[in-house]
Amino acid sequence: MTRARRGLLLVAWIATVAILGWIVDRHLVIGTDLRLFMPSPQTPQERLILEEIGEGPASRMLLLAISGPDPQAAADTSRALTAELRASGEFRLVANGESSLDAIPDSLLAYRYLLSPTLDRSSLDAGFLRAQLEERVRDLGSPAAGFMEPWLPRDPTLELLKLADSWLPARQPQLLYDVWFDSSGKEALLVAETRAAGFDPQGQRRTADALQRAFDASRTDGNLRLESSGPGAFSVLMQERTQGEAQWLGSVSVVGMVILLLVAYRSVPVLVLGLLPLVSAGVAGLAAVGMIFGTVHGITLGFGFTLIGVAQDYPIHLFSHQHRGIDARTSVRALWPTLATGVASTCVAYLAFLFSGVRGLAQLSVFTVTGLAVAGLTTRFLLPPLVPGSSRDAADSARLGRIWHAIAGLPRPLWLGVATATACVAYLALSPRPLWENDLAALTPVPPALLARDAVLRKEIGAPDVRHLLVIEDTDAESVLAKAANLDPKLAALVARGLLDGYDQPARYLPTRSVQQQRRAALPDPATLRAALSEAVATTPFKPGVFEPFLADVEHARQLPALGPSDLAGSPFETRVGSLLLDRGDHWTGLVTLAGVKDATALAQLAALVPGTTLLDLKQASEDLVARQRERILWCLAVSAVLLTVVVFVALRDASRVRRVLAPMALTTLVIVALFHAAGVSLSLFHLIALVLAAGLGLDYALFFERAAEDPAEQRRTLHAVIVCSMSTFLVFALLALSTLPVLRAIGITVAAGVVGNFVLALLLTRPVTGPTTDGR
Amino acid sequence: MTCLTLVSAPLHAADLDVDKLLAQLPRPAPDSTSFVEVRYSSLLEKPIVVSGRLEHREDGSLVRRVEWPYQEVTVLQGENVSVERAGSKPRRFALDRAPELRGMLASFGAILQGDRQLLDRYFAVTAQGSESRWKVTLTPRNEKLKRHLTRVVVDGTGNRPKCFTLEEPDGDGSLMALGVAGSGDLPASLGRDVLHAWCADRDGP
Repeated sequence: MTRARRGLLLVAWIATVAILGWIVDRHLVIGTDLRLFMPSPQTPQERLILEEIGEGPASRMLLLAISGPDPQAAADTSRALTAELRASGEFRLVANGESSLDAIPDSLLAYRYLLSPTLDRSSLDAGFLRAQLEERVRDLGSPAAGFMEPWLPRDPTLELLKLADSWLPARQPQLLYDVWFDSSGKEALLVAETRAAGFDPQGQRRTADALQRAFDASRTDGNLRLESSGPGAFSVLMQERTQGEAQWLGSVSVVGMVILLLVAYRSVPVLVLGLLPLVSAGVAGLAAVGMIFGTVHGITLGFGFTLIGVAQDYPIHLFSHQHRGIDARTSVRALWPTLATGVASTCVAYLAFLFSGVRGLAQLSVFTVTGLAVAGLTTRFLLPPLVPGSSRDAADSARLGRIWHAIAGLPRPLWLGVATATACVAYLALSPRPLWENDLAALTPVPPALLARDAVLRKEIGAPDVRHLLVIEDTDAESVLAKAANLDPKLAALVARGLLDGYDQPARYLPTRSVQQQRRAALPDPATLRAALSEAVATTPFKPGVFEPFLADVEHARQLPALGPSDLAGSPFETRVGSLLLDRGDHWTGLVTLAGVKDATALAQLAALVPGTTLLDLKQASEDLVARQRERILWCLAVSAVLLTVVVFVALRDASRVRRVLAPMALTTLVIVALFHAAGVSLSLFHLIALVLAAGLGLDYALFFERAAEDPAEQRRTLHAVIVCSMSTFLVFALLALSTLPVLRAIGITVAAGVVGNFVLALLLTRPVTGPTTDGR
Repeated sequence: MTCLTLVSAPLHAADLDVDKLLAQLPRPAPDSTSFVEVRYSSLLEKPIVVSGRLEHREDGSLVRRVEWPYQEVTVLQGENVSVERAGSKPRRFALDRAPELRGMLASFGAILQGDRQLLDRYFAVTAQGSESRWKVTLTPRNEKLKRHLTRVVVDGTGNRPKCFTLEEPDGDGSLMALGVAGSGDLPASLGRDVLHAWCADRDGP
């Protein structure tokens, strides 16, 4: 190939990758909903769990605390912040303890007689009205007169105030300066329900930004500090920390890789060429995921690039086999059967995830398989013509020669491999501890200090538990509300017995239509009410006629149709009721949030009494889901292990060769799992993915070692390639193992240990059976 | 509005030095004095009259204890108000909910403690009369307070305030006479101008 044609090929390759990359960048939507990595629900119960994990009000709840030297400034800021947050559009509900009567729209004011329970116990007769009016006279003589007086003509029984009070949490924090404060009186407390789902880190990030902006705009004092706590805040924090650390470790490892490759090949063009298959793999993988799924999850992206990092090894094998007198196109033909076997078998392993039933893993599978295939094919067909002729030959290295010589002298302790494998299997089989980690949260653990703080705030505010939730399901809203109302006294009894701190349920804000109709029927007709009122007013200092607006409101209420969920649009009820009463299309769901659950069994018994009511333990349920998901993945992996063996067998066509190639990988995996278990590390999905990655690497090493059996010079070149491959991979993952974050650490340790294990075992068990050679030249 | 003209008309031509006047007012806490309060409301045919004791505690809180015609205790502490009446659960609210109350409290506290800064924060202050018989007129500064309170007039003798008169924009208002034991001591007519003149003219408590 002429120099010009080589240049053309290079330009065409880079241009294709760039254009494809540009298209991908323009069209690919990056999703962040973590539920993509949860199994698709199969039972109604599971569907409910997945809905609630991300959508439930508790998971959207942010607890806010404003602290500073001056509590009054904190209170003023609490009020201003509430207004800003309500205006920001990122929150469904913001509460700071203020019960503002003005918040209820005029159109709903007359509904107070249908919503308030007053009429269930008393009627608007002369006796009741007289007692109420006497109290109002005293109110007018008290310092409360100022804010009460304007309401009295319209609402002499203070129904609105009673309603507003009844909507406040049963156990609310103390009020200072009219807003919630913690018990020490130093921190103003707020509760906000975000529009973004709790497990949508991107949405929560947007919310966190809006919160910060609102706080900056509303703080009255530079010394004030805002704290936010809750699932959303934690997901933002953990995402930031993960990204920050991954980026930092990534940069360091890139530098390390560059240095390593320069030392190994002493050539800048080789370094640059070596990146091309990897970059092509990434872009092709993204394009494939984009075409099949439309969106790609952020985790797929991060993980996928880690997994296809293996592709960096393919050009390394080619480069290490370069020497004087041989063209890269010739040497690649010799390498290709081995390389192709490695690529094919690794792809087969990753295909397992395609059938895992988890969308995120399926994406990961498509990305990795496409990426590795493209990297393999470009290394085979596009890269060789571009590789400059080399005057260096790895086989010339005296040091490598000595190393190879030493290796050749090593024993081949096959019996030890069998013994180790047996011991590992026996240990794992007999150990009573669970092998797996089912708690997803354990992987991105929130710092204990923050969790403790969250618990304190949650207790101070009386905010709902994020773990337990009562779910009511029925065909229509009315039935759901009736069941909620039915549960209410039972829940109140649990609170009274101290088994529960508090609860919230939709019927508290929106009674059933039938209850509203009963209350409406209890409203006296205009003439009766007027007579009763005149009788009551006569014995008080009130002027006759001042309560005309009251008479008008009651008459208005008598004409009102009962309020339903759809009539609440645009009112503050909409959000309150909307987060507890949900239209699921074919049915309605009512949620009863629970605070301070002390006896889940009592709640489960209570739920059993009302048909269609379920107590969800989100933690337990999600762990069950994870376990079920893992079981399926393990089956898929088992199938792919068989397929992988078939691929290797087809390539090598010799049982003993297949055994030698597969032994290091299988043994390494077993030893790593056993060591993890011995060290008390529970395995997660991420360990599993990392183990597959390590196994893929091990398979490559073994295949190349096995191939190099005959020619001593080839043996040294292979040794060079595998050393460069394993060192670069080890470098990247050992850095990851230093991470403070368990997810990154799990992957780092697993793969780094896998590289070491596979390399050592490949040397011990796979290296050529021919005797030691002292000189290959 | 005869009462307004009467209240705002200077009793004496000479303006007093407010600082000097305030300087002689502070009384050490705890302090307690009897009061009678008359409240006028457009909703009522006749004003409400209550009597009791006003206490200024060491922790800075102010307690308004109604003893007649019913029992009621109001505690004003910092920004919080709680009103507790026998037989019903206490009602709590913040001063922000009741701007006229904030005005009253500020004027009260400032006068009782001789705190010029507190007064200036909420009101434009003028004083008329002599040191032995004076009248301090407080006009709200901020718009929020103005919407609920037209002015506060404090009448006093020597180092004793005797009478706090609050006027609200809607014509409502109240008058609190200090050092009056009970409603029996009030004049027969509870007309505002009559009552105010009576309050300002009587000898010190």
